[in-house]
Amino acid sequence: MISRSLLCLRITPSILRSFSTSQTHQNFKSGISLDKLYSSPLQSTDVKPTIPSNETAFGGYIPLDEVDISYMRSSGPGGQHVNKVNTKVDVRFLLKDAKWLPESMKENIMKKHSHMVTPSGYIIVRSDKTRTQQLNLADALDKLRAQLYSTVERPPVRPDHYTIEVHRRRAEKATRERLREKRIKSDVRQFRGAQ
Amino acid sequence: MSSSHGTVKALQMLRRLPRIKLNNLISIPGSTKKSQRGRGIHGGKDHGWGTKGPKHHNRHVPAGYEGGEMTPYFLRYPVQKWAKERYDISYVPLTLQSLQLMVDTGRLDVSVPIDVTQLYNTGLLRIDSRLEHGGVMLEEKGMDCFCTPMNLEVQYASEAAIAAVEKAGGTITTAYYDPYSLTAALKPVEFFKKGQVIPRRFLPPQRHIEYYSDPRNRGYLADPALIEEQRLLLSQKYGYVLPDLEKSLMKELLFQRKDPRQVFYGLEPGWIVNLADKVILKPTDPQLKEYYSS
Repeated sequence: MISRSLLCLRITPSILRSFSTSQTHQNFKSGISLDKLYSSPLQSTDVKPTIPSNETAFGGYIPLDEVDISYMRSSGPGGQHVNKVNTKVDVRFLLKDAKWLPESMKENIMKKHSHMVTPSGYIIVRSDKTRTQQLNLADALDKLRAQLYSTVERPPVRPDHYTIEVHRRRAEKATRERLREKRIKSDVRQFRGAQ
Repeated sequence: MSSSHGTVKALQMLRRLPRIKLNNLISIPGSTKKSQRGRGIHGGKDHGWGTKGPKHHNRHVPAGYEGGEMTPYFLRYPVQKWAKERYDISYVPLTLQSLQLMVDTGRLDVSVPIDVTQLYNTGLLRIDSRLEHGGVMLEEKGMDCFCTPMNLEVQYASEAAIAAVEKAGGTITTAYYDPYSLTAALKPVEFFKKGQVIPRRFLPPQRHIEYYSDPRNRGYLADPALIEEQRLLLSQKYGYVLPDLEKSLMKELLFQRKDPRQVFYGLEPGWIVNLADKVILKPTDPQLKEYYSS
């Protein structure tokens, strides 16, 4: 499953791809061919999904050619396989040179989340969670995205009237019960001793 | 007592009593009889527990128990992650590693669209619809070394496998073949020699339609628009630059797709292929034509 941080990737795809069959193969279209199932018209101009820009706010998109990805050997047990195969992934980039992040976000990171940044100014994320290089890369990018999202300040969620009322009633009921139990115990204690 | 006293009382009760619900219904007292252990004469001797056996000796026997020698019927077969029923379709596994090996050793020609026919004809896969095989499933083992762009059509693919194929610059589709269509697709020459009509491929059963309509699985019934969106999302998840298929040299090959009713590329359902005379016979009756093109 695609992680939550990735689902926040705000894309606005204007998407029309024509699945044009080539001239040599016949264009057999049955009653349930794709153009009858879906209303997306098959036009000659194909428009790809637009890649979001992170100018105002971080949308979750990480351009992979602007980030340094390197592979190395993982640690831990595994014999010959772990000694030979580069499954560990290191993803890093220089924060101040990152044009794909909004300036406000960079300033925020340096001010409030400076622990994420190394003394030389890099943000580094590593992963050797799985046995495969590709899955480790996916894990590293997921971590990076989550890390960047955690720096975005969101307004505190204030509960609505209904929730407040529900909580108030629960507290009241708890108090009532507590006092009832207390009274019962008190009665029991009172009837002890000499009659 | 006045005649209305009971009525008044009843109406007062009605005002205060709760609504009839399932949790406050009871039978008329005396109408049901609780079953008890029979004590003596005709309820006696074994008291309803038969002779010997675990039940008589007060040992709990779980439902479906077959005496301990045999695994219970409902536990004998594994349940796959796509299975909606216990005895659902099974798929023959194909790893990316073996697929790459087939290409490298020249057993698979990548200049044509690769579907279940091509994969079976390498001779390296054993697919039989009589064994409830629905086709081929693509597994992600070897995803690190997979680098061949190809137009691939399988019956099930894991997310990581889809990512690996798209990263290499290819396209992947998951498509359903019903057992008869699958038999035809696996051995086309044998099928044509029988002189049978090319079947109209069935839609997937109700429980699997969702899988094949989902763009995340690159289903053949999914909206092509949403598939594009998912391609970009997957490239972001697995960390690769999405190859631009428009600029690819294999553009025409990569965009070839079968119609949902088609079994063979280039052949329509309803046709009969005569290999001996090298002719294709097409239906002329309007009813047949309508059926095969619906």
